Amino acid sequence: MASREDLYQEAVRTHGAALNRIARAYELNPDKRRDLLQDIHMALWRSLESFDGRCSLRTWLYRVGHNVATSHVVIDRRASSRQLLSIDQIDITDPKSDVEESAGRNLAVDRLMTLIHELRPLDRQLVMLFLEGVDAAAIGEITGISAGNVATRIHRIKRILTTRFQGGARS
Amino acid sequence: MTNDSDSSFCEMWQQGSGEPPRFSPEELQRTIKRRNLREYVAAALVLAVFAYYSWIFPALLLRIGCGLIIAGTGYVIYQLHRRASARPAPADMGFQSCVNFQRSELVRQRDALRGVWSWYLLPFLPGLVVFLLGLFQFTMQVTKAAGRPFPIGPAILGYTLVAGCIGIIFFVIWLMNRKAAKNLQAQIDDLDRLTRDSR
Repeated sequence: MASREDLYQEAVRTHGAALNRIARAYELNPDKRRDLLQDIHMALWRSLESFDGRCSLRTWLYRVGHNVATSHVVIDRRASSRQLLSIDQIDITDPKSDVEESAGRNLAVDRLMTLIHELRPLDRQLVMLFLEGVDAAAIGEITGISAGNVATRIHRIKRILTTRFQGGARS
Repeated sequence: MTNDSDSSFCEMWQQGSGEPPRFSPEELQRTIKRRNLREYVAAALVLAVFAYYSWIFPALLLRIGCGLIIAGTGYVIYQLHRRASARPAPADMGFQSCVNFQRSELVRQRDALRGVWSWYLLPFLPGLVVFLLGLFQFTMQVTKAAGRPFPIGPAILGYTLVAGCIGIIFFVIWLMNRKAAKNLQAQIDDLDRLTRDSR
């Protein structure tokens, strides 16, 4: 079994960018975002002492990352009092989104980030894990939701993304 | 909806997030120690300031009241830290699914808000009551020493109004926290529904 330091370096090398995206998706303020990212790294570093290989390092890392970020959202009273939406409440045919508006890739990513910030933590996790290319079974393992339920929600996520962001994804 | 469009969304998301900041294990260890130290220093400072004010008050009851407020503040700081603050991430966090972890965090916050009367408001009550009594007694002594009459009736009415205002503030704090706890309970119910549907 690799040492904690080796595991940490490996996790950061392979998924450091994903951890950065988690922090971006949970915190808009740049200073607080850096603190959140540091919290995620600290939690990962501490947690790797207990890592025993029962799940993959990727599953472990996503769990820790999303759990720390979720805790950040729950603790932050400002965010708690804001009404967050579930995927089911997102309007698929949002009148504000026309294809021209989402033509630029950067603009589309920014708008996607805005959409993610409106979501409740669990739905945020689903959208982000889908966008990270994690398959439904692994998403179920990370989040604790059944594969069938994950598949239903991902189907809706895809519809939302296709309707709102197709232009940005192609450019 | 094809796999091609799926991968183009993933590609769009994963590109352009920039080079992530790096943290060395040594830096992370140092940060953990620094944060712990900062919390202890802040608590010590608060207690030192209250102790100073308690020392300079002229009347015994005022000092006792201030001492009780110090004790209440220390208790509330401890409870805030225990119940409602961002606690260090548990080492076994990687074993917990996101749903389980989120539920436990929501329950912890909900319980802290529900019990706000007992751990946030009540500890200040003895100190405030004794402090107000001390202030009443001190004002009466100073007025009489100056050879002026002390109108007991209007003075009692005035202090009752002050106590009433404090009571209203306590009630509003309790009401706001109860509303926030209900909001958290709704989120817990949502998670429970989701995991029930998953079975």
